[in-house]
Amino acid sequence: MKVAINVLQALALILGAPLVRGVVARFKAFLQRRQGASIWRPYSDLAKLFRKEDLVPPTASGVFRVVPFVLFGTTICVAAFVPLVQPSALLASGGDFFLFVYLLAMGRFFLSLGGFDGGSAFGGMGASREALVSSLAEAPFLLSLVAVAILASHADIAGMVAWTLQQNIFNISAVHILAFTSLAMVVIAETGRMPVDNPTTHLELTMIHEGMVLEYSGPSLAWIEWASAVKLHAMLALLVALFVPWGMASSVSVGAIGLALLLYCAKATLLMVLLAVIESGMAKLRMYLVPDFLGVASAVSALAVIFTTLVKR
Amino acid sequence: MPLAPIELGFVFLLAALGFFVPLLLIASQAKRARSLAIALVIGGNLIGCFVAALCFWRESNPLLDLSRFTPFPFALGIDRLSALFLLLICTVAVPVAIFAASYFDNHYGEHRRNWMWAFFSLFLLSMIVVVTASTGFAFLVGWELMTLISAGLILMEGDSAERCHNVFIYLLMMHAGAAAVAASFFLFLPYSHGLGFAAIRTASAGVPAGIRTLIFLLAFVGFGTKAGIIPLHLWLPRAHPIAPSPVSALMSSVMLKTAVYGFVRFAFDFLGGGPSWSGYIVLLAGAVSGLLGVLYAIAEHDLKRLLAYHSVENIGIIYLGLGTSLVFLAHHQPVLAALALIAALLHTFNHALFKSLLFLGAGAISNATQTVDLEELGGLQRRMPVTGATFLIACCSIVGLPLFNGFISEWLTFRSFLAGSILTNTKAQIVLPLMVGVLALIGGLAAACFVKVFGVAFLGRSRSAEAEHAVEVPVSMQGGMIMLAAACLLIGTLPGILLHPLASLAQVLIPGGGVPEETLIIARVIPWIAAIILGVSMTGALLKRRERMVRTWACGLPGLTSRMQYTSTGFSKPIRFVFSSVYKPDRKIDRLPADQPYFPVSITYRSVRTTSYEKTIYRPFVEMILSAAHQLRRMQTGNIQVYLLYIFVTLVSLLAFLRFQK
Repeated sequence: MKVAINVLQALALILGAPLVRGVVARFKAFLQRRQGASIWRPYSDLAKLFRKEDLVPPTASGVFRVVPFVLFGTTICVAAFVPLVQPSALLASGGDFFLFVYLLAMGRFFLSLGGFDGGSAFGGMGASREALVSSLAEAPFLLSLVAVAILASHADIAGMVAWTLQQNIFNISAVHILAFTSLAMVVIAETGRMPVDNPTTHLELTMIHEGMVLEYSGPSLAWIEWASAVKLHAMLALLVALFVPWGMASSVSVGAIGLALLLYCAKATLLMVLLAVIESGMAKLRMYLVPDFLGVASAVSALAVIFTTLVKR
Repeated sequence: MPLAPIELGFVFLLAALGFFVPLLLIASQAKRARSLAIALVIGGNLIGCFVAALCFWRESNPLLDLSRFTPFPFALGIDRLSALFLLLICTVAVPVAIFAASYFDNHYGEHRRNWMWAFFSLFLLSMIVVVTASTGFAFLVGWELMTLISAGLILMEGDSAERCHNVFIYLLMMHAGAAAVAASFFLFLPYSHGLGFAAIRTASAGVPAGIRTLIFLLAFVGFGTKAGIIPLHLWLPRAHPIAPSPVSALMSSVMLKTAVYGFVRFAFDFLGGGPSWSGYIVLLAGAVSGLLGVLYAIAEHDLKRLLAYHSVENIGIIYLGLGTSLVFLAHHQPVLAALALIAALLHTFNHALFKSLLFLGAGAISNATQTVDLEELGGLQRRMPVTGATFLIACCSIVGLPLFNGFISEWLTFRSFLAGSILTNTKAQIVLPLMVGVLALIGGLAAACFVKVFGVAFLGRSRSAEAEHAVEVPVSMQGGMIMLAAACLLIGTLPGILLHPLASLAQVLIPGGGVPEETLIIARVIPWIAAIILGVSMTGALLKRRERMVRTWACGLPGLTSRMQYTSTGFSKPIRFVFSSVYKPDRKIDRLPADQPYFPVSITYRSVRTTSYEKTIYRPFVEMILSAAHQLRRMQTGNIQVYLLYIFVTLVSLLAFLRFQK
């Protein structure tokens, strides 16, 4: 039964991912006083792309063709790590946060290679910028998770969540605040949102993610877009699960699971509103200010790790 | 005395590499003799693999004592640690030799080829002697031979002034290192009966703390020079790129590992750990080598030099594991110490596999295009699919992506850092978890670097005519690379096959070590993830429908040229900009003609790294020695009376010393 719920929550994470994009876009439209598209729009976009044919540049090798699948495969593995409605997940036993982070890195590695294979300047440009952002984001990403893991004495994400569930909601330590701050900054950088990358741009000078996927079209693009939606959703779910897991079902009953799902939706929506506010309220950072942004995240996460020695005893 | 099969195999390996192969090659120029010699090298190493595997898994310790024939105790033996490194050497040697069979044919004439193979075989023998030596003398003999033969192999490629200078620096630094290693052996002498490893082991408990510290530091510096930790790495990016590719592969993947072997032998086997500061020194060396190594690598566009800097980086990662293990040992946590040691040893093994594969890939590229400059390559994946695929596997492994072998060892290193939080010592509690950040940064930068290498060399458009007309390398070169790639994937998806024997090795080196549970966890979860990713890729490939070839989007221009692509230098620019304090670049832009700045005919741009270890560390050191020598020269007046006076004074002072000694 528990396994069935784990499968279902991973599926919910994967299938609900386009909705997250739609909701964020809708909130942004609201904040910018536009009418905005329906929140279901990303699904119809995907459906449209899946029906189209694949356009492949003449320079493309086999690498170009396998990238969408490797990216999607690693991303759904990542989704299977994150608890949604109960403090356990499909790959919880043994699948720790190092594996989580490195699976994301694997998808990114292949996506960057796909960018190169088009043979245009934009792919290399996107890959080069992505290399800068991601190589600097990895350290704060891992360190903030390390801080939480030290407090919980667990390295697997489900164990960390289970530990946090047993704590009092008002008994939040400085470590949690610091770790949340730096992890939130990393999520923004990793998922390519403002102020690090503009997900809606196609202007050469500012593209990062869009630069790498510029040559993809049709079903390949659909897999990539879906994977990046799942990545965004998994990261938001990770923030929810690690820092505000209260309300997750402790027993396997329809009522508890339903309540947990509702609560999760509420918490995730709150995060999406926050994301929309940040994206609408901030201008994109200059490329060479991004390292400073991530430097702050690194410093904050290092402080979080150092403070664990004080909090633990 | 009848020899058991294991000993027989070992003797065959030694005799083949050290005697039959060189003899055959020197005695006869015939093609058949050479084919037989190559077969002997490959066969001998295959047998070596079996011998090592048997010793490793079954734990039998054959010993070959030759002391009767040598003026000093000379014995070779295989215990578990030796067996691991013997396995490493033979496993890498087989595919490299298969690769070299056609590489040497394509690159050298009849005569030189024979010498190349003879030295190749002796080089392997010297490394085998180093890792199986069970007396100090045997170790030092192997150590010295290894240096000299590798220098010979580099010189055989050519003897230009620059090459000779690089080889000179290589030999100089190796001998400084060898002196430190020899000194650390001889410091045991007053306390142990001879330099047999068993005697040293039993005697080490009785060595006073000060001498132990000295031995540790000397071993650290001596082996560190060979391993190439920063700032002792100076020779590495000079010597590795100029050797023939199969030899570079052996030097980088196996010869550096003998230094790791020596350090583990001293720090763990002989000394049994030390105070916690020794662990922190090793950690610091690892962190500095790892970070600077990868940063220097990113700035390179000569593929072989880039790979050489990555060896520095990976040695850094290995030292991070070793240092963590020493810290745990000092805080009496044998199980965690075993975990970190397993991580370091596994990374040693993994690095040997993927780094030799990368160097062989570089050899295949230079075979096909006559260059290893990344800026001249591009689009090779479509022309050399096998080289490309195996090179991609090596890239994924060195970056440490899941499902590839590098990940397993990096993951174990991460877990041992994280485990540092359970120590009661506050310093360790803070330092070890923070090291996660350092290793993550190293990993992130390495990923950036190999996106650059693979993206620029194998994908997109060709940047030169040679790359445009490249053809796939011969089958035997492909075979060597495929074997190594398969090994990388096998360890990456089924890590249990190496982790369990390594755990038992760690138990030998660290008493009370036990089997760390992390090794079991990773062996369980990785196959599932492999299955998911493979499943998705297969489904995707089956679902895939029609595709149509269209021109790449060129902003409406008539077409793209290869010069419009991102170059290797351009790719690494953001990272070099952010870390400019590491490189301190000196930029020069020359526009011609000078009086027309807006319409120049030609622009040349040059940017060189000005941070140099020669200038800041080595030059002052050399000058110190030179000035000391100058002072000493004052004594040498050339006047016979003064020399007679020296003799007289020495005699008198010796007599006085003897008189007052009692």
